[in-house]
Amino acid sequence: MDLFGGTINTLQQSLNYASVKNQTISSNIANAETPDYKAKDVVFKDILNKELTSSITAKRTNSRHLPFENDVQSAYQVVTRNDTTYNHNGNNVDIDKEMSELAQNQIYYQSLVERLNGKFNSLQTVIKGGR
Amino acid sequence: MSIFNALNASSSALTAQRLRMDVISSNIANANTTRATVNENGEFEPYRRKMVEVAPSDNSFKSFLNKATNSSSNPATGVKVTGIVEDEEPFKLSYDPTHPDANEAGYVQLPNVDPLKEMVDLMSATRSYEANITALNASKSMLMKALEIGK
Amino acid sequence: MSIPISGLNNNVIGVTAKDKVITPGQAQSNFANALKNAINNVNELQNVSDQKTEALAKGEIDDLHDVMITAQKASITLQATVEIQSKVIDAYKEMMRMQV
Repeated sequence: MDLFGGTINTLQQSLNYASVKNQTISSNIANAETPDYKAKDVVFKDILNKELTSSITAKRTNSRHLPFENDVQSAYQVVTRNDTTYNHNGNNVDIDKEMSELAQNQIYYQSLVERLNGKFNSLQTVIKGGR
Repeated sequence: MSIFNALNASSSALTAQRLRMDVISSNIANANTTRATVNENGEFEPYRRKMVEVAPSDNSFKSFLNKATNSSSNPATGVKVTGIVEDEEPFKLSYDPTHPDANEAGYVQLPNVDPLKEMVDLMSATRSYEANITALNASKSMLMKALEIGK
Repeated sequence: MSIPISGLNNNVIGVTAKDKVITPGQAQSNFANALKNAINNVNELQNVSDQKTEALAKGEIDDLHDVMITAQKASITLQATVEIQSKVIDAYKEMMRMQV
């Protein structure tokens, strides 16, 4: 019996994405004046998958060796924008863009939580039978 | 790794900016100090401008290992001050034969502090501090909102 | 013109009644399995929620919303199962009240 269908799963994945994006934005803002720091961003993996070839798996002779983990569970990935430079010290953080993305992400996260609450509440209403 | 990664990154930046502000205040306060230190010859040297070196605070082995194995690493890197260094620019010379610290030619060595530059740096540190406060508040409100799931 | 009268034609097209009949024993075991699965599901969800809550207390969690969502799912599943149980009991009582 699967009470929690596609929408709740989508909301949960999106919350994961928004949380990681918030962390990358915080670290970009924190390092806005650090020399040679390149800004990070979070992208969805299906955009990347078109570019990437098939993944390589590690051949392990002992089960305690670390495998190459291709994190297929998550739909997003943190990437680093290496190709631009805005300042003379090698830093490429655009502070205005980061601030606006911070605001957008915050609103996005809160709206996702609101929707998730709505879904859970309607499930509870159904279960209680309207009492 | 915890739920407070973003908060930790922002707070590390707050600490770094505050330290930078302290250094700038020290520079401005000592902009005219001609007798800051005594060098090897027993003569007085003026105050040398200090600068702050910052670097991302993500250089632990664990973070490199996580990145290499592509497992979920902590995407929030903070910033830390790696050192306070002295500016190697030459001292400013000003002609004032009546000054107690004038050399034989009548020139006084003044600290290599440019107050205008320090003011601009101070404004930059302030803005950076405020931006990090905003980021910290955003992270905090997201966490508080997450606590309301299901209420 | 008279149409000869023939008996009823029992070869109806489609599924005959025989194919669709499940024995009461089968129905009971289907239902019992469904109930067992539901209770196992509830138990599992409660366990996962407990583990994540403990990890949160120890500071090992990455995402707070993950813990909250898991807890909420466990709670809703529990509520659903309890409701189903009470409905089943009501149905049983109703059945027992039937005059034979």
